[in-house]
This record gives sequence, structure tokens and C-alpha cells, in this order.
Amino acid sequence: MKKFYLTMVCSAAFAAVSAASAQAQDAAPIKIGFAIAQSGWLSNYDAAPFQAAVLKIEEINKAGGLLGRKIEYQIADTKTDQALAATGGAQLVDAGVDLLVVSCDYDFGAPAALAAQQAGKIAISMCAGDPKMGVQGVGPLAFTATSAAQSEGIAIAEYAQKKMGLKTAYVLEDVIIEYNKSACAGFDAAWKAGGGEASILGKDTFRNEDPSIAAQITRIKSLPTPPDAIMLCSVTPGGASAVRQLRAAGIDTPILSITAMSDNYWLNAVPGLKDFYIPGLISLYGDDPRPEVGTFLAAFKARYGDLPASSYGVMGYTLIEQWAYAVEKAGTTDSQAVVDVMNTFKDQPFTAGPTSYTDQLHIQVNRPWLIMKVENDSFHAVEVYRNSFVPDMKLLFRVGQ
Amino acid sequence: MTNVVQVIVDAGALGSLYALVALAIGLVFGVMRLINFAQADYATIGAYSLVVPTASITPPLMFGALPTALMVGCVIGTVILLALLTERVAFRPLRNSNPATLLISSFAVSYFLQNLVVLVHSGRPKSVGIGGSLTNAVELWGIRIPGVQLLTMGVAATLLVVLVLFLKKTPLGIQMRAAAENFQMARLLGVPANRVIAVAFAISGFLAGTVSLLLVIQTGTLDIKMGLMPVVYAFFATVIGGMGSLPGAALGGFIVGVVSVLLQTYLPTDLRPFRDAGVFALVILILLFRPQGLIVTSAARERV
Repeated sequence: MKKFYLTMVCSAAFAAVSAASAQAQDAAPIKIGFAIAQSGWLSNYDAAPFQAAVLKIEEINKAGGLLGRKIEYQIADTKTDQALAATGGAQLVDAGVDLLVVSCDYDFGAPAALAAQQAGKIAISMCAGDPKMGVQGVGPLAFTATSAAQSEGIAIAEYAQKKMGLKTAYVLEDVIIEYNKSACAGFDAAWKAGGGEASILGKDTFRNEDPSIAAQITRIKSLPTPPDAIMLCSVTPGGASAVRQLRAAGIDTPILSITAMSDNYWLNAVPGLKDFYIPGLISLYGDDPRPEVGTFLAAFKARYGDLPASSYGVMGYTLIEQWAYAVEKAGTTDSQAVVDVMNTFKDQPFTAGPTSYTDQLHIQVNRPWLIMKVENDSFHAVEVYRNSFVPDMKLLFRVGQ
Repeated sequence: MTNVVQVIVDAGALGSLYALVALAIGLVFGVMRLINFAQADYATIGAYSLVVPTASITPPLMFGALPTALMVGCVIGTVILLALLTERVAFRPLRNSNPATLLISSFAVSYFLQNLVVLVHSGRPKSVGIGGSLTNAVELWGIRIPGVQLLTMGVAATLLVVLVLFLKKTPLGIQMRAAAENFQMARLLGVPANRVIAVAFAISGFLAGTVSLLLVIQTGTLDIKMGLMPVVYAFFATVIGGMGSLPGAALGGFIVGVVSVLLQTYLPTDLRPFRDAGVFALVILILLFRPQGLIVTSAARERV
């Protein structure tokens, strides 16, 4: 009998211990890994979204955590190196992260995202504008928080035709990166859909590092009829240089451009610039019409003492927001379950705007843009505009073009 | 017709810019058999000296805030000092090594300087609005020429003349030409090697400083790789012009600039992205027919 009691007590104690350990398991923190560049040129683009992502993580923790668990994060510095991105991603996956956040660029984010995909973990890029960061490229567990570059070109084309009443355009494409070409492909398709083949008066290319685009400017000036608008698919510094040279040559035509040209830091290159339009993400200059953006910027400023260094910052915030929402809904951090929830998003309202995914498309194709223009040496919000022309798969992957 | 004139001006301006860089490379190569790739970073650092060294992407102006004459002097002075410093630290101790070692050393200097800029200024491109009035187009014979194109051509022509006068008329210039012809012989005849080489570097720094200002006035932007493309082009220019020949370098710079503009102007749209391939194909063609370059110096001939 005594022996029986002892056994009972022991079993009870054992049960209590295992229950306690199970509870501890439940309360174990959720882990998010960041395989991002903290040094090298890409660090300038990864820094602001990363800060914003950390802000969102801290907000969730302050509100009691996710599924009742705290979120912890770890960073692997990829040093703007594709090989290090792959090893950094693999290390974080080995460390057992539930979500891998990767760099703001397809070429540098994909190696890390692939490591996650192979291990069955979800990976989200902060702001890669390439749909290959998704089902057809990296795999069904990869996402990007931002819009396809094509939709930037589409949005500004539609806006210029429908709201600004511009009829003809001339396209100047910087061939240094694929992002520019994708944006120009979107512009081309949407402009022709709205105004016909002949409404694009001409097309020319340059390279970002070209010290001069004089020959391209001469071609524009020799057109029999001057265009209503010039579409410039480029990034800084070459894009800023091109704008300066266009204006210096006395071409005062409205210039349409893409999201990478947003934010005021390059405007010194063209003092007094006017009639320059872009599809922006958010305005950092106090005039964004969407209250949720204002809330985000105020929280960011309270946390870091300054506004995000670039408007891409919001993408890091919205990335964590989306994933946390899906985890909450799925009731687990299991990657497949979370992805299944994310694939059902249809205009789900988040800070960066309504967000939709399908099991085929893990990038935004018609999230509303904040059209912005330059006036008095600063970007200003004009209005929120949503493109109605939606890029098909052929345009998104630029096949047969 | 106006179009053709405009194309000629475009080509001339770009050719002048490349000629300036090519002169700097050719000069140093002449006296030292060193192809100085750090020339790109001299220009980059000259441009960055316009702004206060901070990681901020909208930095306040430093030399850029000075009155024009002082600004030009300070930027060029900075680059000359930098060129002399790199010569003293990285190249002088290696002077007797073979050209390959020197070339590697120049790559090392180039990477070092580039990373230094990233460290101090961060890698993000910045912008400066200096010389805005110079970029305004000037109306000449019915065509509008951007002021900066006229400036580039004017500066290049002036510097070329000054450099030729310096090399032909001054004792130091004559010593430098002698050193370029046959360095050992010149030394035996009493030409001070250190001084001649230092002066060559100072002139290359002067040219790099000038190029940096012209680039900033033209583009309004600062970037860690801003000097790279002109130097790559200028390097090819010195090769096709004839290594070690200064008129060759200037001519070569002109040719690559002009060809690049002509290809951009007259190639069909689909081929234009491959413009650079056309320029480099031309380099290969010229070298096939004239392996020593267009203007051959006696120094470049095989010596027994």
C-alpha cells in the first residue's frame, strides 16, 4: 500500500512537471529572423523598413504578444552579399525562426528566402518589387510586402491620362536594373491601352552611371511634335541626374516617374523642380490623407526620434502586421497554415493599404498609390489613386515582350 | 541640320570630359608605368568634399557653400593633396616593382578610398545643387546648348593648351617628357624622379578635381561610383590613343566619347542598350589594326 502511494505521488509529481513544461512550451517566444543588409549599399534601403518592423513587433509585445506569446527577433547581416544572404537565411532557419524577413531587393533577398522555402518556412521580403519573390520564383512560401514594379508604371500612366488629361508620352528607360524595365513595361502596356499604339511618341534608353544623357535629350528635342509627358523609369543617382539634365536643356514637359524616385533627398540636384509626378507609398511630409499612415509615422517618430529615412519604411511595418494578423487567424505559427490564411486576403486593410494575395500571386498588383508631385522643393501628396488596369501574368513576368 | 550640329556638340562635350580623365591617366602612366584606377576615387572624393562629411542623406554644404572661386580652389586642392598622399604612401615604395604590382596597388587604393567614402558618407546617393546657372541652355545659331557642355569643352581645351605649354616650355615639363621617354636615362642625366612623379600626380589630381566639379554641375548628384565610368572609358581611351602618349590619350578620350554619343544617337532602339558593347568593339578593332595605339611614342616601342 505504501508502495502504491509512493507511485501515486511520483506519478502526480511527474504529471505536474510535464504539464508545467508543456505550459512553458506554449509561452515560448515566437521567433522572427531578419536576413537583411546592415552594411554595404543595400543597408540604406533595408534600414528604414527594419526599424519599422521592430516598431510593430514591440507594439505587439506591449499589447500582450501574439497568441499570448512574446515575439523575439534575430538578425543575420548579409552585408549586401548574395552568398551571405543564403548562409544568413539558413542560419536563422536553423535557429528555428517562425518567419524569415528578407532584404528589400529580389536579387539579394531571394537566396535567404530560398533557404526558408527549402526548410518549409515562410519568407517575406520587405520591398522587392519583383513577382518572382513568390510562388513562381522562390516558391509558394515566399511573399513580398510591396507592389509589383509594373503596377507603378501602370498607375502613373492611368493617372496622367485620366486625371491630368495628357495624350502622348515619351519613354526614357534606365536599363541598369530589371526594376526599371518592369516599371516601364507596365507603363507601356497601360498607356497604349488608354491612348493607342501611336500615343507613345518614342522610346530611348540610358544607363544609370552615364555622365551625360545629352544624346537622348537631343532625340527628344528633335521629335516632330513634342510629347505631353516624359516617363522616366530610373533610380537615383542616375534618375536625379537625368531630371536635372532634362530641365537644364529647357524641356519643361511634365515628367512621370516611379516609386524609387520618391522622397526629398535628391531634390537638391534640381532646385525649383516642378511638374514631376510619381506613384508614392506614403508621404513623409505631413500631408498623407490616410489617418493610419499618420498614426504609423507618429509612432515611428516617438520610438526613433525621427521620421523613417525613406517612405519604404512602412513596408516593414505592414509586413509584420500582415503576418501577425494571419497567425492570429490561423491560431498557429505553422508556416503552411499561415500562408493558407494569407492566400485568402482580399483587400484586407493594412497600414500600407488594402492587401490581396492568391495561391498564385504573392505581390500587390493594384494596391492604391499615393500620387505625389514636386513643388517648392518638396514632394506633396496629390491624391490616392487605384489603377484599374491590372497586369496579367505575362506582363508581370515580362514574357513574350 | 540643327540636329546634326547638336549631336556634334553632345559628342564634343562628352569627348572632352573623357579626354580630361584620359590625360590624367596617360600622364601618370607616362612617368611611372602605373595605370592608376584610383583616379576614379580622386574624382569621387573631390565631389564629396562639396558637402559636410556625415551619414545624413541631405548633408549641408561644405566647400559647396564657398564663393565659386574659393570652392573650385578648395575642391581641386583637396584632390591634389589626396593624389600626392596616395603617391607617397601607396605608389612610391613600389616604384621599382613591376607594373602588375603597381596596378594591384592602385586597385587596393581605389577600394580603400571607396570604402572610406561609404564609411564617412554612407553608401546612399546624395545630391548637391551647385552651378545651377551654368546648366541653363545657351542659344547659339538657333540651337540650345546646355551651358555645362560649353563649359566642359572650354575647360578641356584650355587645360589641354596649358598642359602642352607646360610640357614644352617649362624645365619641369621638359624633365617630365624626358622621364616619360626613358625614365632610367632621365634619372642618370639628373632629372629628380621624386619631384617629376609627384608633379605628375599633382596634375592628375588637378584634372580629377576639375572632372569632379564638371560631373557635379552636370548631374547634381554624388555617388560612390560616380568616377568609375569616366575612368573606365578613359582607360580605354589611353589604350587606343597609345599608352604613354598624351596627345594620344586626349585623342582617344575624344574618340570614345564621340563614338558613344553617335551610337546612342543612331542605333535603332532595341540595340541602344548595347551601346557600350559597340564602343568596346571599336577598341578591340583599333587594337587589332594598331596594337600600339593611334599615336605611338618612342617609349612604347620595344627596347632591347
